[in-house]
Amino acid sequence: MRVFITSLLLAFTSLTVQAEVSIFACEPEWASLSQELGGDKVTSYSATTGLQDPHYIQARPSLIAKARRADLLVCTGAELEEGWLPLLQRKSGNADIQVGAAGYFMATDFVQLTGVPSQLDRSQGHIHAAGNPHIQTSPVMVLAVAKALTSRLQQLDNANQAYYQQRWLDFEQRWQAAMTTWQQQAKPLIGMPIVVQHDNWDYLISWLQLEKVGRLEAKPGVPPTVQDLSNVVKQLKVTPAKFVIHAAYQSPRASNWLVEQTSIDKRVLPFTVGGNDAATDLFSLFDNTLSLLLETTK
Amino acid sequence: MNSKTPLAAMISLALFSTAPVYADDLSDLKAEVMQMRADYEQRIVELEQRLQHTETKTQQVQQQVAQVKAAPSPVVAQSNNRFNPAISAVLNGQFSDYQNNADDYEISGFSLGGEAGLAREGFSLGESEIVLSANIDQLLYGQATIALHDHEGETEVEVEEAFIETLGLSNGMTVRAGRFFSPIGYLNEKHIHAWNFADAPLIYRGLFGNQLSTDGLKLSYVLPTEQYIEVGSTVGNGDQHPGSGEHNGIGDWLVFAKTGGDIGTNHNWQLGLSHWQASPDDREYSGGHSHGGGEAESVAFNGDTDITNLSFVYKWAPQGNFRQQNFTLVSEYFYLNDDGKLSHEDELASYEGKQYGGFVEGIYQFSPQWKTGVRYDWLGSKHRASDDELLEDADLDASGYHPQRYSLVLDWLPSEFSRVRAQINHDKSSSEDDTQFLLQYTISIGAHGAHSF
Repeated sequence: MRVFITSLLLAFTSLTVQAEVSIFACEPEWASLSQELGGDKVTSYSATTGLQDPHYIQARPSLIAKARRADLLVCTGAELEEGWLPLLQRKSGNADIQVGAAGYFMATDFVQLTGVPSQLDRSQGHIHAAGNPHIQTSPVMVLAVAKALTSRLQQLDNANQAYYQQRWLDFEQRWQAAMTTWQQQAKPLIGMPIVVQHDNWDYLISWLQLEKVGRLEAKPGVPPTVQDLSNVVKQLKVTPAKFVIHAAYQSPRASNWLVEQTSIDKRVLPFTVGGNDAATDLFSLFDNTLSLLLETTK
Repeated sequence: MNSKTPLAAMISLALFSTAPVYADDLSDLKAEVMQMRADYEQRIVELEQRLQHTETKTQQVQQQVAQVKAAPSPVVAQSNNRFNPAISAVLNGQFSDYQNNADDYEISGFSLGGEAGLAREGFSLGESEIVLSANIDQLLYGQATIALHDHEGETEVEVEEAFIETLGLSNGMTVRAGRFFSPIGYLNEKHIHAWNFADAPLIYRGLFGNQLSTDGLKLSYVLPTEQYIEVGSTVGNGDQHPGSGEHNGIGDWLVFAKTGGDIGTNHNWQLGLSHWQASPDDREYSGGHSHGGGEAESVAFNGDTDITNLSFVYKWAPQGNFRQQNFTLVSEYFYLNDDGKLSHEDELASYEGKQYGGFVEGIYQFSPQWKTGVRYDWLGSKHRASDDELLEDADLDASGYHPQRYSLVLDWLPSEFSRVRAQINHDKSSSEDDTQFLLQYTISIGAHGAHSF
């Protein structure tokens, strides 16, 4: 009888109050992390896919509808979404996700960014004043964000504090074990010279201790000119690199050109969850990234 | 660590529970136990070594994690220039070449007022805009757009927009007050520099003199549905063309509804419907022909006016990745209905007018830095007055002519802050066909604005 009443009560409360925290993630890595940490107490939606450039997203109708019903925004921040997120916040008419509200969570607010430009001038390309925002390429950063996100979930959903704590401990343990494995696997990569297409790999590079010897985009966000590319070719003659990497969402044109010119190897990395078929969650994202990077050294 | 406990239990079990014990077997048993002990000790040592190894690796990871310094304190507000508002300026300049004389430009069946004409021929400086915006406080957001442009040799300053808006009033409600672009059509809510062509669609030029703004209040509500549905209303003072005159209280009002969504990841769409009404008081038709050289008194309209708009937008990008490639289709249709009286000097006539038309434009961005597009405009009108002479005086004697225009545009976008645009129009706004060539640059400096869908 008591079970019956309890379940009835539960059914009733789930009707009256929203049982799950509705999370609007700007990028798939944060949707995946939210799901890891929130389990069945949250629903997470990703505004973008792993095959879209997160700088250039349309503030489209479906996103306004999602933002209007969201309890929590989980985004990268550091101006990555400045072209579309502020508009969604304003159009949503949703007080919970405005700047400074508990439902406004920007991952880059909780880690120290690198690559803060010493000169803020648009002639230098599409630079981010707050620093390089592409933190999800390092599992170390992901862990720091996960911890902060856990406290935010606990703050928002008081009733399930213990649940989130337990999910966090579980995640932390699994993540650290995975990191140990990745680190072990990545030993042959230490000091490996590489070329990047766009500066969105800085955190991966410092985590794996790779060496960036060149960049195809002379200025971030500006498609490289023939001159820029031939400069890279010249540079590679002096300091050869093992391979060039670019994200799945980026145009392969520049990298392909370099491959043709210098017979350098090319690696298309998933960059985020959903960047390729193998990267289905955060764990497989790094599994896959590492196996792609290691392929060349076999 | 925990793995030691069961191990110890197993060892003690092995050592002490081997019973029964017989005297003559004792030495054998002793040897056996010693052997077992040695075995287990070796295994323990091995386990300890493995454990130590794992611990050092975990420590390495933890050290790395510790190296990620927490940000000094969450810098939540990312306002540009600390607390200064986000400031940006939009500059543009144009070179125009027309076959016909720009001063003779007219659209059959429509009376052009204000800035509705063509840009001057040759080099001209377009509108320079200064946009300021910021969150005002915990409740409000504010934005002002000041436009500077030359008109007959003098620089005019115009407040294009100056409004305050609630910041997440909750439940999907937003209230806006001040001067703002009316939510009457898809393009109308966008700044001219965000349009896909260098000039306004003919229907915008004909009905609003390019763009309709409202001085008043706007209320909008996004429904809590999976599908995006927004409904809203505005009330204004009714003095903006095609409204006119001073009204105490509400001079014009509008209702709108919008919906839209995604079809898979590649396709997005939006559909909008709106209806606007006003009661113009002495709306003047600037086209008034002067009789006998003197300054002509304009024909004026008094009565009721309503406009209905239907707009459709479709966007496509492979994988929804707009950066590399995308296609946009925009189509809008307007229908204006006038019912009232025309007056000119001491003449008076009852008048019923319909003006309608629309456009379809398709824009294809084929690489991050290049896009091209085509547009087709089509208009029509019907005017009935009890005195045809007044229609003629007001420039409304279209007699069934349908203005049309074909446009072709090519944009080069060195970055998201600059654009060079070339456009060719074949313009049949009146029976005098015209070929127009426009070359334009538009740049934006300062804060990075967000663009709506």
